[in-house]
Amino acid sequence: MSVAPDIERRWIAPSIESREQIDAIIAAPILAPRHTWRWWLTLAVSGGLTLLMIVTVTWLFGHGIGIFGNNTTIVWGFPIANYVWWLGIGHAGTLISALLLLTRQKWRASLNRFAETMTLFAASMAGLFPIFHLGRPYYLYWIIPYPNVQGLWPQWRSALVWDFWAVGTYITFSTLFWYVGLVPDLAMLRDRAARRGVRRLYGAFALGWRGSARHWEVYERFYRYMAALAVPLVVSVHSIVSLDFAASLEPGWADTIYPPYFVVGALYSGFAMVVVIAAVLRWACSFEAFITVQHFEAIGKVLLTASVIMGVSYATEWFWGWYGGERTERHLVTFLFTGPYAPLYYGQLLFNVLAPQLLWLPRFRQSILAVTVLSILINVGMWLERILIVWATLSRDYLPSAWRIFLPTFWDWALLAGSLGAFTFLFMIFARVLPALPAYELGKTWAEENGA
Amino acid sequence: MPPLTRRGPGLDRRLLLKLAAAAAAVSTTRCSPPDDEIIPYVDMPEGMVAGEPMRFATTLSLSGYGRGFIAIAVDGRPIKIEGNPRHPYSLGATDVFAEAEILSLYDPGRSSVVHHGEQIATWEDFAAGWEQAVGARPDDAASDAAVGLVTGRVVSPTTLGRIEALRRRFPALRQYRYEPVNDDMARAGAKLAFGRLVAAAPRWDEADVVLTLDADPLGHGPEQLHIARGFAARRGAEHRQQLHAVEPAWTLTGAAADFRLPLAPRQMGEVARAVARRLGLDLGDPVLSDPQRAFAERAAEALATAQGRALAMAGDGQPPELHALCHWINGRLHAPVDYLPPVDPVEAGHADELQALAEDLRAGRVAALVIVDANPVYDAPDALRMAEAVAAAPFSAHLGLYPDETAQHCQWRLPLSHPLESWGDARAADGTASLVQPLIRRLYDTRTCDEFLALLALSAVRDAYGLTRETWASWAGGDFATWWRTALHDGVIADSRAAPLALSPARPTGLPPPDAPHALTVVLSPDPGVWDGRFAANPWLQECPHPLTKQVWGNAVRLAPGDAARAGIADEDTVDLVVNGATLSGPAVVTEAQADGVVAVGWGQGRFSPAMPIAHGVGTRFVGLGARPFSRLLAGAEIKKSDRSIPFRSTQSHTRLSGRSEALFQLATLAELATSRPEREPAPPSMLGIPPRGDYAWAMVIDTDACIGCNACVVACQAENNVPIVGPEEISQGRDMHWLRVDVYARPQGGAMRTGFQPVPCMHCELAPCEPVCPVEASVHDHEGLNVQVYNRCIGTRFCEANCPYKVRRFNWFAYADGQAYGDFAPALKAQHNPDVSARGRGVMEKCNYCLQRISRARRAAEKEDRQVAEGEMVTACQAACPTRAIHFGDLNSETSDVSRLRRAPRHYRLLEELNTRPRTTYLKRLYVSDAAS
Repeated sequence: MSVAPDIERRWIAPSIESREQIDAIIAAPILAPRHTWRWWLTLAVSGGLTLLMIVTVTWLFGHGIGIFGNNTTIVWGFPIANYVWWLGIGHAGTLISALLLLTRQKWRASLNRFAETMTLFAASMAGLFPIFHLGRPYYLYWIIPYPNVQGLWPQWRSALVWDFWAVGTYITFSTLFWYVGLVPDLAMLRDRAARRGVRRLYGAFALGWRGSARHWEVYERFYRYMAALAVPLVVSVHSIVSLDFAASLEPGWADTIYPPYFVVGALYSGFAMVVVIAAVLRWACSFEAFITVQHFEAIGKVLLTASVIMGVSYATEWFWGWYGGERTERHLVTFLFTGPYAPLYYGQLLFNVLAPQLLWLPRFRQSILAVTVLSILINVGMWLERILIVWATLSRDYLPSAWRIFLPTFWDWALLAGSLGAFTFLFMIFARVLPALPAYELGKTWAEENGA
Repeated sequence: MPPLTRRGPGLDRRLLLKLAAAAAAVSTTRCSPPDDEIIPYVDMPEGMVAGEPMRFATTLSLSGYGRGFIAIAVDGRPIKIEGNPRHPYSLGATDVFAEAEILSLYDPGRSSVVHHGEQIATWEDFAAGWEQAVGARPDDAASDAAVGLVTGRVVSPTTLGRIEALRRRFPALRQYRYEPVNDDMARAGAKLAFGRLVAAAPRWDEADVVLTLDADPLGHGPEQLHIARGFAARRGAEHRQQLHAVEPAWTLTGAAADFRLPLAPRQMGEVARAVARRLGLDLGDPVLSDPQRAFAERAAEALATAQGRALAMAGDGQPPELHALCHWINGRLHAPVDYLPPVDPVEAGHADELQALAEDLRAGRVAALVIVDANPVYDAPDALRMAEAVAAAPFSAHLGLYPDETAQHCQWRLPLSHPLESWGDARAADGTASLVQPLIRRLYDTRTCDEFLALLALSAVRDAYGLTRETWASWAGGDFATWWRTALHDGVIADSRAAPLALSPARPTGLPPPDAPHALTVVLSPDPGVWDGRFAANPWLQECPHPLTKQVWGNAVRLAPGDAARAGIADEDTVDLVVNGATLSGPAVVTEAQADGVVAVGWGQGRFSPAMPIAHGVGTRFVGLGARPFSRLLAGAEIKKSDRSIPFRSTQSHTRLSGRSEALFQLATLAELATSRPEREPAPPSMLGIPPRGDYAWAMVIDTDACIGCNACVVACQAENNVPIVGPEEISQGRDMHWLRVDVYARPQGGAMRTGFQPVPCMHCELAPCEPVCPVEASVHDHEGLNVQVYNRCIGTRFCEANCPYKVRRFNWFAYADGQAYGDFAPALKAQHNPDVSARGRGVMEKCNYCLQRISRARRAAEKEDRQVAEGEMVTACQAACPTRAIHFGDLNSETSDVSRLRRAPRHYRLLEELNTRPRTTYLKRLYVSDAAS
């Protein structure tokens, strides 16, 4: 596939005059940081929330998962919703990197590094929640097949076992992909670092990268193969996650739409999170030259598409709930619109489907503020969707005698806030020690755009 | 050594040295031997095998009346109560109260030591104090001390003998006998009808048509098991009993009825008037609306055409005249009723006696007040100001299981022995006597009621064993040793039932007209969990859901929808109930098909003794309302929305369901049943492999028509399977642990509400949705078709419960059974635990397993004899408890087994059959005589 050079559109601002300048700007936060009070404040808040997460988990392991709001009927709660939500966010990075690389979308160069990092951290957050949610988390390893005296293996029909493999594979692969992408930039940092220790550190991780033509030739091919492997993985992981619900007997869960619906939802929330992070980085690290309005507009279009697909998915659920004629399915749809969770459901529809329609208008699409605000709303909306998937079905399944409502506790919120804090904290550290944008790829883009 | 408590300021030097010397002397010897001779097993006693349960017949009382049960002990530790088939008031079944007694035995909140004021004392101290107070000496013949003895209903021959002995010693003794849940009205009615006290004992299994007027014979009480079994005997499709219930608010009887009419309590007599007119006694024109009249006339017609097999009965809240009229109706119908001489020898009414106690105390006519297993400070209405009266007595002592409200106001608090650690005897409501035998040595230095009375009378024999044998030695005659062994073994004393009297009721001369209508009338009834309050400290009963509202840990104000709407009160709002200037609050439950103008509340909650932490502050003390004690009806009440907020804690929030419940709780009329065909075993295709059948295929069939919603199975399951208590806070969080729940369904049909009960244990699906989703194979199928949970393998993903359409699995959110037990019950639970059932730790899922340990026991017994487990040999705990035998259990491999037969019955259905889970637990439809309901 050959894409005609995009002459009209320039993805790097004209203020950039040389590749050297690109390297300097990207290396600045790492090698010559200027810590403002904003940085310290963000670090303190996110560090505090990370501490809250540690306290919550300590309390959780000490007292039992009864500290959450789960009850006899709604046995799943925040941890499962948080898990699905974080994992969804973790999808965009790899997808942006891999799919846009394969389709030669040049605008990916400004986003892929931090998007991949986001993937890594979000998937890590996601990976913690199923552990926190276990009644006996210290026996987590029982779902790993290992030789044991009982001769007992995991029960392979369970979607939770599939889940374990899907998430494990995804995290492993994302880490490798991310690291491979980092290698040339690590070498760049090695070369620019003034202090010997720093130079050695980056040098060790740069694996002897010299930037020779041979290096580049092997590297580009390897990177592309990895990208080709990543794309189906992105699709499979959230499909498997959706089977936690779809491979059940419960009304509202046992639907064949779940795998595609989850994948789109994941990309949707992931792209939204990329927007939020891009906006923050742009402002905090002076990356205005690399992350431009055009990037926001491009993502805005993706978000718009996803919002329409989400709308269709929701409508499909309503339609089949009604058309299937099953008592519990029909009641579930009614319950979503009229039950005690209805405000949350309307919030979900507003944030995920209605509000993003503003992006049809170029005026909103081309406003960084508008796209960022919408992205935050989408993330909230997607979290609401996840929690409602868990709550609504379990609150209203087959036997009315077991119907209950979920009442979250302080600890539910604490763990969610804590995970957000830990994610931000990790990101702050990342932005300080690794290049948040791929210098070599931006350089390449700049060279193409400027005909150098 | 002087008692430590007497020393006042503290130790002085001399005493300290004395004690040190004594301690040194003791430490050089050894631990003191127990008072009684103990003999180690040289030869193991016959039948005693370590770890094997032993069964002993004994008697437990409720409101004074004895019911015979079998107590099971393992290695000398009582762990479970089961029914005694030989006893007419158990018939092999148990009720919630009997099942829960086992927990009371071990309750760490029980009174365990003698207290004098706030100081710990000894029984010798008390004896000395008593002798001083009444001026009696052991060699004295009689004393003129004005002793006031407060008791509940006493029907035990030994206790009655003790009271007589006490009276000989203190001729001025005045006994105040009262029981909060009493039959004052029925007794007065019997007096009107027969000119003497008579107890009517209907033969339920002979009645074809029954009319109840504000009566709840199927409700909880000392006779429930007896009545329920008789009722169930006539409940099948062939020759079915017709039950017409007229009641102000829902009761278990109303829920079981074929025809039910909600009616204000004051109008009950009008229905009787209509029946009397049909039978030829004109007492005036009944004041009833047209539908009410139609109901009454249909009932009258049904009664009149079932001569000899029809029965009418009035409730304890109805006036004596109505009881007398019912006696006349029964006489006229040649109803299957035995008239028995009352077993309670006291003539006076219960309410009068309590009132007299308050008056006598206040007038200073009681010099020495002795209260035996009664709690007047809690039971008496606020108007009597009983606490002050008791506190004013010059000498007061309270013997009781708990440091209750009355004990708090007495000078001496004395610990009572639990029946399971006592010798004694009791009589049932029909006079059947049975012995109480202990299963365990007393846990604390307590006294039984008889021992205490003997102590008061300064008798020579003061041990309960001797006292009980003394009573029966003369009765038995002949070979007493053999008689005694037989009586203990059988748990019932042969030929002790009272002989029926041949009486004919007087023709009533009139029936007072109904009172003028009031805006609101409060209807009070005992609580189906904590009864009159005596079980309020028992967390099993606090956590046992109210059969109709499913409320736990509290009591509610039940309102008719019209009244609630007029007062602007919604379900679960807190409502202020104002009666005669007194205001009490409770959460509202708006109940359809409750008579307009009726506010239903329960007794028994709102215990306020600070020394009873479990019961303290739970619910509201509605027994304090009214001017007279134990009023069942209070006119002139007002309701309004409260500023306070009292949580309504329940285990089931949705009971009133129209439409949706049709497939879940299935109804059938007799006519439909006659035309329906027996169900073919369906075998829809499935992609999952059906587990092969092993030697047995266990299955359960529950007859929702027989189920009266009494909850006995729930508590029986809790006792058998070490099901933990979670406490009110956890219930508010929506967490409960009962393996077996009883769902209540209410649904409009035929112009009335149909209410019924559906016990839901695990369905043991053949294609269990919980099994494929478990990642660690903790939920698996066994070779006998049980879906079992391997606790040790569970890691707590809870996917099984999420995927269970029946939601029968229970999760240990905290270590309810181990380390995080509710209240201070951890040691009690350990002692009570069934050693055959593992206690589940934190973070694992658990659920009903058809009493796997019992299956295993039955299988082992059969294998030893190289045979199959016989039909009826394996009985689950819930099945054993059920008074109506609604629960059937057996082997599907046998074509002739009870469950196989029932699964072919036309009434048979599966819950959520459309999911193709192929449950092993299935149901029989609820039956109604006809579509017309009211």
